[in-house]
Amino acid sequence: MIENEHLLTVTPHQMPAGPLVLRVTGELDHHSAPLLSRAVDDAAFDDTGVVLDLSGLTYCDSTGITVLIGAYQRSQRTGAPLILAGVNPDQMRVFTVVGLDQVFTFHPSTEAAVAALAK
Amino acid sequence: MTVSPVRTVPEASADEAARLAAVRRYRILDTPPDGAFDRIAALAARLFDAPMATVSIVDTDRVWFKAVHGLQGVTEIDRGPGLCASAILRGEPYVVPDAGADAGAFADPLVRGEPGVRFYAAAPITTADGQRLGTVDVLDTRPRRPTEDQLQALQDLAALVMDELELRLSAMRTVAAERERRAEAERLARALQRTLLPPALPEVPGLHAAAAYHTASPDEVGGDFYDLFPLNDGRWAFFLGDVCGKGADAAALTSLTRYTLRAAAIYDPDPCAALANLDAVLKGEYQGSDPRYCTAVFGVLRPLPDGSHAITLAGGGHPSALAVRGDGSVEPISTMGGQLVGMLPDPQFVRTSTRLRPGESLLLYTDGLTEARTAGGTMLGEDGLTRRLTATAPRTAHELLDSVEGLLRQLGDGVSDDTALLALSVPPPPTPRIQENR
Repeated sequence: MIENEHLLTVTPHQMPAGPLVLRVTGELDHHSAPLLSRAVDDAAFDDTGVVLDLSGLTYCDSTGITVLIGAYQRSQRTGAPLILAGVNPDQMRVFTVVGLDQVFTFHPSTEAAVAALAK
Repeated sequence: MTVSPVRTVPEASADEAARLAAVRRYRILDTPPDGAFDRIAALAARLFDAPMATVSIVDTDRVWFKAVHGLQGVTEIDRGPGLCASAILRGEPYVVPDAGADAGAFADPLVRGEPGVRFYAAAPITTADGQRLGTVDVLDTRPRRPTEDQLQALQDLAALVMDELELRLSAMRTVAAERERRAEAERLARALQRTLLPPALPEVPGLHAAAAYHTASPDEVGGDFYDLFPLNDGRWAFFLGDVCGKGADAAALTSLTRYTLRAAAIYDPDPCAALANLDAVLKGEYQGSDPRYCTAVFGVLRPLPDGSHAITLAGGGHPSALAVRGDGSVEPISTMGGQLVGMLPDPQFVRTSTRLRPGESLLLYTDGLTEARTAGGTMLGEDGLTRRLTATAPRTAHELLDSVEGLLRQLGDGVSDDTALLALSVPPPPTPRIQENR
């Protein structure tokens, strides 16, 4: 069941000559996670990279984390750089406890992430 | 005014009771207006070229309009003597060509008062088992005679209302059955989850142990787990953790995790090796499109001659254990840097060690506790938990557990995830006045 999907929105935006930005807004939990999972599956992972903009994420449970790790695994397979942008301090604390701070590349904002990928 | 008693008194018979039971069954009374029934009323008025029409349901003591066309502001009328009350007494269309000339009909408030109805035609809404719930009726302020075709069409509309009611009842039943099925699945998952926790902790010589499982939501089963068991060389092993996800899938993952850790501990009780073993098993079991992980802390206890216990801990993406020292200070036994188990290519597990002396205790917990929201909306965090333990200064495993359970009660709805707690303490040395705290 994905009945709570409406609590989560994922908006893809292809930057001109830049990365694909997936803006994730709302609650990412075991009800809504399939929505992001599909968006990650549908996204083109190529040299220009992918940015997950999490600045609008208000909640992320363990199933949400599996989807983020899934995106990381995809980026490892394809060689496409992946950046998490705009992670709030509470969420960052959760990432640090589970050791994902050592796994992902973080930037404070989508702008900073896009600029870093352009280099 | 003379009124036939047969028509005025609602039948207080078994028949009427059965009819009312049918009305209740369809749960239509006092529901909000609805496009489908409004269209049927409008269509009935158009068929007769009449100004007013209703879809009416006859309740115990009132006639309630599910739909009205051309009758402003009327939602129900008394079920006294009147048109609709008479109409449901028959299994066929009921026609009053001129209410002014019909004593029974004249008792109807819509006839006596506004809008001064003179013509009335109704077809009963009849269930498959013959119960008449109400009518589809047409009203006019002029006397008139309907054609056979019009009355036939009115009956068709009443049958259409019945079909619609059946459909809705069947949808309501499907939803109720689905809800029941899901509740049952959750009850099963909860029962399964209970079987994954040890029924009672074993007695460990020279150590007190206490554990608790705190459920956040009755209908979303989490996958927290803990265990405490002897190794064959006088040492003891324990673990506590949390699998990702909810429900029956999480319970299955918890089961696999728990048995894997117990088996791994017997094979190689090194805490990091146990987590590495679990990592390999989870990757083997949940590869492909449905990867799963857990976070866990795994520890080994070795009793020392002076009564204290040496503890070696390994953490895989799990919050720090907290030690309450003899002086009341709270010290994190951190395995920070350790990574979650089962999904990362080459996960790091971090080992640490500490010693638990008499009068000291250790708390292991899952992140349902530290990720709980306080009344101010902020996350409790390790800091909030540390403040609580500093303030309550627990001296034994049971006091430690009581302190945290009190905190969970205070946090109330702020706790959105299940929480497992495991507390260990070394009893304080006996003193002349106080034998033992608990």
